[in-house]
Amino acid sequence: MEIKVNQGILSSNERTALENKKVFDENGLFVINIMGSPGAGKTTVLEKTIDILVNSVKLGVIEGDIYTSKDAQRIEKHGVPVKQINTGGACHLDAGMVSKVLTDFRLSEIELLVIENVGNLVCPVEFNLGEDIKIAVLSITEGDDKPMKYPLIFRESRAVILNKVDLIDFTDVDMNSLRTDIKRINPKIEIFEVSARTGQGINEWSRWLLEKVKDKNVKNAVN
Amino acid sequence: MHETALMAGVFDVIEKHTADLTVQRVTKVILVVGEMTNAMPDALEAVFTVFAHGTKVEGAELQIRMIPLTARCTECEWEGSIEQHVFICPHCSSLGLEIKSGRELYVESLEVE
Ligand SMILES: Nc1nc2c(ncn2[C@@H]2O[C@H](COP(=O)(O)OP(=O)(O)OP(=O)(O)O)[C@@H](O)[C@H]2O)c(=O)[nH]1
Ligand SMILES: [Mg+2]
Ligand SMILES: [Zn+2]
Repeated sequence: MEIKVNQGILSSNERTALENKKVFDENGLFVINIMGSPGAGKTTVLEKTIDILVNSVKLGVIEGDIYTSKDAQRIEKHGVPVKQINTGGACHLDAGMVSKVLTDFRLSEIELLVIENVGNLVCPVEFNLGEDIKIAVLSITEGDDKPMKYPLIFRESRAVILNKVDLIDFTDVDMNSLRTDIKRINPKIEIFEVSARTGQGINEWSRWLLEKVKDKNVKNAVN
Repeated sequence: MHETALMAGVFDVIEKHTADLTVQRVTKVILVVGEMTNAMPDALEAVFTVFAHGTKVEGAELQIRMIPLTARCTECEWEGSIEQHVFICPHCSSLGLEIKSGRELYVESLEVE
């Protein structure tokens, strides 16, 4: 006997993500999901971003990691509330994991919640967390062929941070072709060239992010 | 290897659709996978066997139906397949292409006894 099913295999995650999104919206929270390879510089970029934004916006951070809480410890030093999620082996966060730690925050006192996903260019993309936007961090030392090899993360992200541009002279990366490939996959994506080491480009990216947070706050105030 | 998590989703769906029936055995699972997903058919098949072991799905055939990436232009209504992930309209050069197919990840049907 045949049973017609037609049900998405991510549907239970999607449901939880929608519930998270509802909680975020009710609290006027802007939420970003930062994804990228291990070592791309997600935490370092975030640390620099926090230092710039900490006086303009109330922040909270969720750190995803397979086993350790090293990144959360780094964030804690910057004086913002942070919660570690250990996935215990899984290569991505899912909406249920995020949902469980939300009660640890005073959500109504946060305007921007940053979720750093597990370091991975592939797996996290399929699992929505309820975020407003996805942000990709790609370090240029990973090579300019990455967008064509892993297009989905660039298609789904609202902005991409090309990090470690201080190392450009030590690589064979062609920045023009890197930018062209990313724009072919996602013509509407914002591209920021950044060095979390020297601070180059961090201001521009932070300003853009602040705009997004304010946009959502204004919308909430109107509604 | 998020195919493990994806396969957990497949088995949730199978369980939900067979739980209240007097299903002895699932003999075939048809899974629909879009070209622009991060799901590798080979990895899915390997994980499927592991998940099926010792369940009513053991020995079932996993049939994966791949769906090509297609898009529609919001400016000129062009529709067609997307090659090399270039999301620029080949007809009017607009950048406003919407994905029509290629993001699927769902269980289409089951064959049961
Ligand atoms: N030269 C240079 N090094 C950087 C830059 N940004 C980060 N790094 C270094 O890259 C290494 C990895 O940075 P992290 O910020 O831990 O990277 P991550 O993406 O958070 O890594 P995971 O969380 O483990 O996936 C560290 O040694 C950083 O100091 C940069 O802009 N330039
Ligand atoms: Mg990190
Ligand atoms: Zn067109």
